[in-house]
Amino acid sequence: MNVRIKAFARFREIIGAENTLDLEEGSSVLGALKSLSERSKDFRDACFDIDGTIASHVVLMINGKRISGSDRETVVLHDGDELAIFPPVAGG
Amino acid sequence: MIKLQQDDFDVGILVEAAKSRETGAIVTFIGTVRDDGIECMELEAYHEVAERELAVIRDEAMKEFPLHSVDIIHRTGPLRVGDNIVLIVVSAGHRKEAFLGCEYVIDRLKQTVPIWKKEYLKDSSRWVEGEERPGHTS
Repeated sequence: MNVRIKAFARFREIIGAENTLDLEEGSSVLGALKSLSERSKDFRDACFDIDGTIASHVVLMINGKRISGSDRETVVLHDGDELAIFPPVAGG
Repeated sequence: MIKLQQDDFDVGILVEAAKSRETGAIVTFIGTVRDDGIECMELEAYHEVAERELAVIRDEAMKEFPLHSVDIIHRTGPLRVGDNIVLIVVSAGHRKEAFLGCEYVIDRLKQTVPIWKKEYLKDSSRWVEGEERPGHTS
């Protein structure tokens, strides 16, 4: 299945504004992020803590809706989903 | 009006548009680029989600307080010290709810709307830190 990755701010500087991942059916958000990490050590360092969990400063959205808490590790992606990754917002 | 745009906005036009016969108070908030030792900044947005979230915040404010109208314009792209960043115009029958509504909108905007600022200093750059810590929510 194909998932569109949109990155913003420092994540965009590391992996680019848009990527498309070809993932196994049933892949999780965590799996998508690990797949991106295989392409870029800088992305891995920016996204994950030393223990392999998603860092607390990473904000994730699927199709424009935030995923919070433990869902961040487990939510399953579907074909055509848009996964956005960015740091804490700083508008205004 | 809810808008993300690169161009500057005209505060007077928005204020006039917010008036109705029932309006007794209009409160505006303008965020501007402050000189924190920077030369300029660049604003980036998750555009379609940001506009949607601004509309949600407007709806929240109008449900929470007896407001007549809420308009939000947020700029993106390159800005210099002194430039306008964001305009919020809130109209109501009375000043109490107009002040409260305007403060509510800017506070919520800073919590959730996907916009980021990169500041450029003479020899370096830095991203402005946001406050959200999504990994800690349940």
